[in-house]
Amino acid sequence: MKKTAVSIGALLMAFSVAISGCGGNNNQSSSANNGGVKEESSATAAPATPSTEPVTLNAWVMPNSPKPDADFLKTLDPYLKEHPNVTVKVTVLDWGSAWTKITTAATSGEGPDLLQLGSTWVPAIASMGGIDKVTDKVADVGGAEAFLPAIWNTTSIAGDSEVYGVPWFVDARAIYYRTDVFKQAGIDPVTAFKDWDSFKGALEAVNGQTVDGKKIAALGLPGKNDWNVVHNIFPWIWAAGGEVLTEDNKNVIFNEEKGLKGVMFYTGLAHEGLVDKSSLEKNSSQIESDFGDGKSAVIISGPWLAKNFATPKANGGMADMKAAKNFAVAPLPAGPEGQVTFVGGSELTVFSGSKNKEATWELIKYLTSDEAQKAYANVSGQLPTKLSLLESPDLDANMKAFSEATKYGRTYPAIPQWGPTETALQKHFANIWDIVAGVKGTYGEESIKKELDSAAAEVKAIINQ
Amino acid sequence: MRLHTEKNLPAKASSGKRGLWRKRIRENKFAYMLMVPTIIFMMLVHLIPMLEGIWMSFLKLNQFTLGKFLKAPFVGLDNYIGLLFNSDNPVRQGLNFAVRNTAIYAVIVTIGVMIMGLMMAMLMNRDFPGRGIARTAMLLPWVVPSYVVGVLWGFMWQQNGIINYFLVDVLHLFADKPFWLMGPNTIWAIIIPTIWRGWPFLMVIFLAGLQTIPDDIYEAATIDGAHKLRQFWHITLPMLKPVIAVQLLFQIINNVYSYNIVATMFGNGAGYPGEWGDLMMTALTRQSFGYWSFGSGSAASIMLMIVMLMVVGVWYRAFRTELNAQ
Repeated sequence: MKKTAVSIGALLMAFSVAISGCGGNNNQSSSANNGGVKEESSATAAPATPSTEPVTLNAWVMPNSPKPDADFLKTLDPYLKEHPNVTVKVTVLDWGSAWTKITTAATSGEGPDLLQLGSTWVPAIASMGGIDKVTDKVADVGGAEAFLPAIWNTTSIAGDSEVYGVPWFVDARAIYYRTDVFKQAGIDPVTAFKDWDSFKGALEAVNGQTVDGKKIAALGLPGKNDWNVVHNIFPWIWAAGGEVLTEDNKNVIFNEEKGLKGVMFYTGLAHEGLVDKSSLEKNSSQIESDFGDGKSAVIISGPWLAKNFATPKANGGMADMKAAKNFAVAPLPAGPEGQVTFVGGSELTVFSGSKNKEATWELIKYLTSDEAQKAYANVSGQLPTKLSLLESPDLDANMKAFSEATKYGRTYPAIPQWGPTETALQKHFANIWDIVAGVKGTYGEESIKKELDSAAAEVKAIINQ
Repeated sequence: MRLHTEKNLPAKASSGKRGLWRKRIRENKFAYMLMVPTIIFMMLVHLIPMLEGIWMSFLKLNQFTLGKFLKAPFVGLDNYIGLLFNSDNPVRQGLNFAVRNTAIYAVIVTIGVMIMGLMMAMLMNRDFPGRGIARTAMLLPWVVPSYVVGVLWGFMWQQNGIINYFLVDVLHLFADKPFWLMGPNTIWAIIIPTIWRGWPFLMVIFLAGLQTIPDDIYEAATIDGAHKLRQFWHITLPMLKPVIAVQLLFQIINNVYSYNIVATMFGNGAGYPGEWGDLMMTALTRQSFGYWSFGSGSAASIMLMIVMLMVVGVWYRAFRTELNAQ
């Protein structure tokens, strides 16, 4: 009897732990699975002149700005004043747990009214039926012509004419460089970022320059322990003439000769000593703060960094750092087959389980108005998505550089399987960084090609499922 | 592990005769009634999700069928076969590394925390001034949340971090600063922080165990001329064996299902810990939430659960006598 009691106890324990491993994690419909989600606050416009029925809209947004909920509501303030019957409740999701939370909502039908989605997520959530078609309404916001084409492409599933979202803001990657270090090394920034050769030449010239008694590395770039591993590498593949998939999205081609050339150039910069190899263990934000500290002369980042450099330390910014007064923004150098950068961004969608779809669409209309686009770009440090605003003369010099970059910006194929595809790419590109760092095999075309091939095989299995 | 109800049971209870069972239920009606809420709750939080997980492992549950959830197409053992026999299955390639790393990790961490815990418990069991403060201070690593442990050690392990500073600049153990968060060294970068955080708990348990050993046994041994090492081997260890047995199982289970420290150390869960850092739990999480392949994610979880049940079986056989001795 005692024996049974003990073994039952042990069995129960093994079961319960195993369950928290599989049942708990995999159970998509579980409402307990909301780690990292916090409800922050809500703003109510006093119903002074109730012109229509009072309505409460739930909005799920990501941390797009320093105070995500307050900044979002501040942007909406003029609209809420005009529509006192509308109350907006904001929930801020973090990028790490957002996917789980959103798929849970999409499968259960219980969720927000207004939903922010990362541009590469839209086709996936649309294919799950989690968001509504807005095809016949997009004329209200100016239609496709009003928005940046690279980001508009992600509002539909590839090969389908239906539209599922409206672009909210975009970001593009460009080069940040230290003006003082370039001057000291006698490099003219105008020619330095023209093409791959001039870029590499400039990096060689600034590498090891002594600034404030310390040697500075030419380039800072994050390796594998980053959330942007894939976005960091693809601009180089594209510039070399490579593509992720063939035009019909049925075959994988990034591992072919041109793609390999792009990967070899980018990783070669690190292999040839133009990068402090210790940066290969770091993530994007550590690389950004290293640049701020004067550890590297060049990094590749998005518009938010310029915003950070303009924000005082007391408000969580980096304005006190040395680089904040000595930086400028330049485009990514053109590769053998053209100039390309990665353009990401977010879209506004109507959640399919929403009971207030009309009111939600009105809110989206306001958020894509010129007024709201400008206001939100200002607080978030991101770029507006409307072409008219991207070309506006009131942008400052840094934002102009990024707005310029969006013109040659590209993003990934709008396939529903992009999420898993990116996971697979992330894993194999991480292995490539291991090779570059010298802790896995020997660096060379052969080893990199092998890793790209196994990435391609995995991606092929995913897109054919 | 000892059930109090046993004392209330008739001597021949285990004979299994129906009449006796009925009598026993009648006699202990009140006790069974008290258990009902627990049983219902356990069903809700343990049994139902577990059955759901098992069912999911037989489904083709991916992003396209997720909307149907438990009504997704039934594919029988396909998920299992893919994981076990299809060498082209990308999941399987990744799992090989995760299985190897989890085995190394669980064994070394378990041995590490048990030895550290026992050593420190014996040290803390002596009488010395400031013992209370010392005991409390020793618990410090344990009260640090595992998220913080992951983030902090993630910084410390960096190539220009404090660990390499001590190893290379102070102690001159290596010629060049090694990478800890990339390549084969990653396994140490996840084992050491887990031991660092884990041993104080074992110290507390062993300390409690040591205090149940009567002093007169040691006194008698000293009079008989047994030196300290002999006392340790022949008194302390045997007397602690039941505690050690239970903790051994707890630690193995705990470490096989380890997730937090590894996930937070590598890009806050966004990164891939690498071929020497990926554990079963990070691999399964990526499988389910990265590849959106919930069916094969569940299948891998179920297989892991079966392996763990076998571990429990082996453990039980190994420590049967200690667990039954009273």
